[in-house]
Amino acid sequence: MRPSRLRTVLTALAMLPVLAWTLFPIYWITTASFKTELALYARPPQWLFTPILDNYTRVLTNIPFMQYLKNSLVIAIGTTLGSLVLGTLAGYGFARFRFRFSEAVRFLVLVMRMAPRMVLVVPYYLMMQRLGLLDTYTGLVLAYVSFALPFSIWLLIGFFVDVPIDVEEAALIDGCSPLGVLVRIVIPIAAPGLVVAAIFAFLVSWNEFLFALILSGVEAKTLPVVIAGLNTDVGPLYGEMSAAAVMVMLPNIVMTVALQRYLVKGLTLGAVKG
Amino acid sequence: MAIGSAGRWFLLPGLVFLFAIDLIPLVYSAWISLYNWWLIRPRDIRFVGLANYLRLGHDPEFIRAVVVTTLFTSGAVVVEFLIGLGLALLFAQPFRFLRRLRVLILLPLFVVPVVGATMWRVIFHPEVGVLNYYLNALGLGRPPWLSDPTLALVSITLVDAWRTIPFMFLVIYAGLEVLPGELFEAAAVDGASGWQSFRYITVPLLTYIMLLAVLIRAMDAFREFDIIFVLTGGGPGTATQTVQILNYRAFGLGHMGEANAIGLVTLGLVALMCWALMRLILRPRPAGG
Repeated sequence: MRPSRLRTVLTALAMLPVLAWTLFPIYWITTASFKTELALYARPPQWLFTPILDNYTRVLTNIPFMQYLKNSLVIAIGTTLGSLVLGTLAGYGFARFRFRFSEAVRFLVLVMRMAPRMVLVVPYYLMMQRLGLLDTYTGLVLAYVSFALPFSIWLLIGFFVDVPIDVEEAALIDGCSPLGVLVRIVIPIAAPGLVVAAIFAFLVSWNEFLFALILSGVEAKTLPVVIAGLNTDVGPLYGEMSAAAVMVMLPNIVMTVALQRYLVKGLTLGAVKG
Repeated sequence: MAIGSAGRWFLLPGLVFLFAIDLIPLVYSAWISLYNWWLIRPRDIRFVGLANYLRLGHDPEFIRAVVVTTLFTSGAVVVEFLIGLGLALLFAQPFRFLRRLRVLILLPLFVVPVVGATMWRVIFHPEVGVLNYYLNALGLGRPPWLSDPTLALVSITLVDAWRTIPFMFLVIYAGLEVLPGELFEAAAVDGASGWQSFRYITVPLLTYIMLLAVLIRAMDAFREFDIIFVLTGGGPGTATQTVQILNYRAFGLGHMGEANAIGLVTLGLVALMCWALMRLILRPRPAGG
């Protein structure tokens, strides 16, 4: 069936307000980060201007941005590794073994993801205080792995189930241990799934705000907390705030565009397959 | 399955970890909620039983927060669902340029929530914001987007919608993609109109997925914190103070018993909402669903 020309035009016209609504905020803050103080407050708003980098140099010199960037990166990488290791093991366990209550346990894992984080953060704060882990990377990584893990497990079950079981059985007969089968055979075949799980875990940590706000002081402060801090004063810090915001969302945009096919599969897997 | 009982050793590390990080704090939280515990008076921690909960029952601020949260959640979910469904139908058409545009629609979902809220704060600014400049130029005045009690609630709902319409879109779109195309062809041959095949084929087959998307979004909206914190901080006054913001404030003031009681009541409310929506979802589905 070929769609009519009228329908093509109408669809394209309908896309315009949709794209404007979706992209305008991103466009506006990105251009704002390249504007001079004068251009930021110009009336009417300036759409064409000479871009400058002052806002970026100021953010990088006036606040210890690099330190916060390092905090965010170390915590996100720790979260990614932790949830990949635990998620791969558990996902494989669920995908290949049946035991009593396995369906119920699998569902419970998903339910755990749904508790409001505010419920957990208060007792978690007190526990970390006792353990001396407030304002440390470890305290945040432990919490973030628990946020990312349920999703990683569910996602990886979907990828592991698709691995042909004959290959695994042949390896077992040849004397390979179950863990050896997972590492040597299943992981290489299901590698795209691990990439998606890794990206999601990274973004969970990179985006998280509430736990970072409450658990981190000076040492482990992450970038979202820094952005929210700059935000309290829209006036004089407008340009710098925009520059910081653009730098913080850059990895997200790059990952989304580069891996869109996998992200779509990953996000919808549970809803459509399950 | 072939591989025998080694399974539990694969599951154990992850499950023990989740148990330790999620369940222990919950139990601890329940225990703390029975105490009068103010952080600045560490020597005066008293067991008060259910007093913290009973007080919430007739605390006008808490009841107001529940109402605000309910308004925000239902408004956000309805708007997101309708627009998400519309977008999914728009994108399900067989045009090649739509596939390329899809990723652009998804971007807000992946932007750091705090950054997304920051963008809108700048746009909403009553004096220097770009939105009010053009509204004013059109003779519509300069609405105080974030400082008028009613408008502020609308604004945070809009920003939440901006961020999560892509999620609704994606789930419904994925559901549309796997619908059997023959059904629509058969209906077209039988002379069904576009509306008829939507009403009698698409809707029944997608009910389950649409309800699932609504359920997930409703739970997430109920516990939304980042966007509201950055945009209004619960203000003006208590106009956008949701249960989560109230809970954060109780914690900030050091009232541990009260903060934990609010948290657990929220958990109960979310569970209740889930239960109600799940009953809808798990109702016997029409054949083929």
